[in-house]
Amino acid sequence: MFTHYIDLAWRSLKRTPMVSILMVCAIAIGIGITMTSLSVYHMMSMDPIPSKSDQLFAVQLNTTDEGTDWWTEDNIALQLTYKDAMFLHNQESAFRKTASMKGMATVHMNNDELKPYLAATRVVGHQFFNMFELEFIYGGPWTIEQEQLAAPVIVIDEETSEKHFGRPNSVGEQIYLDDRSYQIVGVTKNWDIHTKYYDLNNGAFSGVESIFLPITLIEAQQLDNSGNTNGWKFEEIDSFESYLQSELVWLQFWVELPDQRTKKDYESFLFAYLEEQGKLDRFERKTPEYKLRDVNEWMEYNRVVSEDNKVLVGLSFLFLAVCLANILGLLLGKFLKRAPEVGVRRALGANKRQIFLQHIIEVSMLGLLGGALGIVVAQIGLWGVRTTNQEYNALASMDLSMLLAAPGIAILACILAGLYPAWLVCRTQPAIYLKTQ
Amino acid sequence: MLSMKNISKVYQTEKVQTHALRDFNLEVEEGEFIAVTGPSGSGKTTFLNIAGMLEPFTSGEFSLDGVDIGKLNDNQTADLRNQKIGFIFQGFNLIPDLNLYENIEVPLRYAGIKRSERKLRIEECLEKVGLASRAKHLPQQLSGGQQQRVAIARALAGKPRFLLADEPTGNLDSLMARQVMELLEKINEDGSTIIMVTHDPELARRAPRNIQVVDGQLADFTMYQNKTIEAIAASAPVVEA
Repeated sequence: MFTHYIDLAWRSLKRTPMVSILMVCAIAIGIGITMTSLSVYHMMSMDPIPSKSDQLFAVQLNTTDEGTDWWTEDNIALQLTYKDAMFLHNQESAFRKTASMKGMATVHMNNDELKPYLAATRVVGHQFFNMFELEFIYGGPWTIEQEQLAAPVIVIDEETSEKHFGRPNSVGEQIYLDDRSYQIVGVTKNWDIHTKYYDLNNGAFSGVESIFLPITLIEAQQLDNSGNTNGWKFEEIDSFESYLQSELVWLQFWVELPDQRTKKDYESFLFAYLEEQGKLDRFERKTPEYKLRDVNEWMEYNRVVSEDNKVLVGLSFLFLAVCLANILGLLLGKFLKRAPEVGVRRALGANKRQIFLQHIIEVSMLGLLGGALGIVVAQIGLWGVRTTNQEYNALASMDLSMLLAAPGIAILACILAGLYPAWLVCRTQPAIYLKTQ
Repeated sequence: MLSMKNISKVYQTEKVQTHALRDFNLEVEEGEFIAVTGPSGSGKTTFLNIAGMLEPFTSGEFSLDGVDIGKLNDNQTADLRNQKIGFIFQGFNLIPDLNLYENIEVPLRYAGIKRSERKLRIEECLEKVGLASRAKHLPQQLSGGQQQRVAIARALAGKPRFLLADEPTGNLDSLMARQVMELLEKINEDGSTIIMVTHDPELARRAPRNIQVVDGQLADFTMYQNKTIEAIAASAPVVEA
């Protein structure tokens, strides 16, 4: 019977082509606009590393005086000072951890073959790659010894390797950043993540870096931070050494804590560290204050998905509701016009449930067609978003879940709009129409 | 087989109460061919609709093959209608988008009959009404008489025990009307019980049993024989507005 209802639905749509086209277009526009905003929202808010998002924690330490205002909701800075970050980074532990800084350098080959270009770099510990699941295709991360010695080594991604050497494997080759040369020890896959969750201070969607350097080079080579730097008190900074020892915050710090017990222990460690720093008169604070936030909490805390995005999604659903209200009107007209046929079907043995089902399948088919066309409209919408906002390049796309959701939402929405007309027509008293048809 | 006792049907609006049927009593035996006549507005179609379970009655008792119709819900009524009753309407009531084969298939699908069995029955019924070669035609491609024959085929396909026909020849010329009537007589001879509402006295006379509905009540036709129209009118019950 189900296939028969599908056949009837298709015939019904063909019987009134203009009305059908109008309804499909209305659904398509509503779904297209909804899916455009929903896809961007989905990409922004999706868990960027589901396999371990609850094990990776961003560390925040409050190393300011009591009463200092910060712009975060709990008055704690998002980043750490160099001395705190490096202290935590250098602690021996069974779990992974890394300090991290955003850098910038002119990349070249020290010859005329490749035009130099400015690129963002990421200065990190050797465990960064494992922590954030950045896969190597050749070589691997630098060793702990190389890191401790501040060796001039570097990890690049596949695209950079192809660009400089015309091949993916460039391990052992030299590459130049500004006026220094670095030996390539590893080549990673191109990193395909939408949200740069490991450094939300410097543009959550600004694209990941393709060049990675050891964190110890900051001091050894006096690497500049090209990300955000914030301070809370006046300090005389007249040298790179005084910059490193200042209370300015400019490094991110992440730990990978595999279980609750390790987390508890680490919290105790942070508490003790801050208590000790307080006693050294770095800051005036009665109770040490720190925060460990996992990836999703960190994204929420940093408002990766802004209120504007949420409002936009709400408005797009409102628009879909307006489209559905119009469809409801058209369906009412169409179904009630068919009441005489329904009367005949009732006389021939159809019960109300069968009539209701027949009409619900028809509106579902409308939803399916509208949803399919809606995906096309959404693709145009997403293209528009990408064209007008470069930062949304990686975000303005539909993944498989959104592609499947589009017809699902369309069908559900159409069923919602069709419930009342279908209910009304299935209540038709057959006798009224049989004589007058 | 069909039994109606004191059936009443009242249509109620805000201001007016209309008694379409009042204390209507009828017993129909298996295999009968009954012609129902009566003036316009007398309640013939209402009787037929109630007999076909197309609309509920206000009071009284109605049973079909021993089943108390008043106690059935919508699903049960629809099933019973599908199994036991075939309808033939004045306006044919064929579904315009479906070809003849598909039109006849409608009640069989609701009956849950398998595809192969449906095919057999449809072909048999189309053969019976002389339209086997037109199976793929749409209703509008046929004459009125042919459409009515399709409607009869559709009514027969479910092998119903009752055929309810509401002025089946009302939209046909006399030649086609005669052909349809002959077809109904043949169907009756094959064992189906037929109740036919008609305005045509000639057709009514061809039915073995005639009943007349006057002002919502069943009139004993025989008691009016050899009486003048004035006498019949004088004996009819008075309807209150």
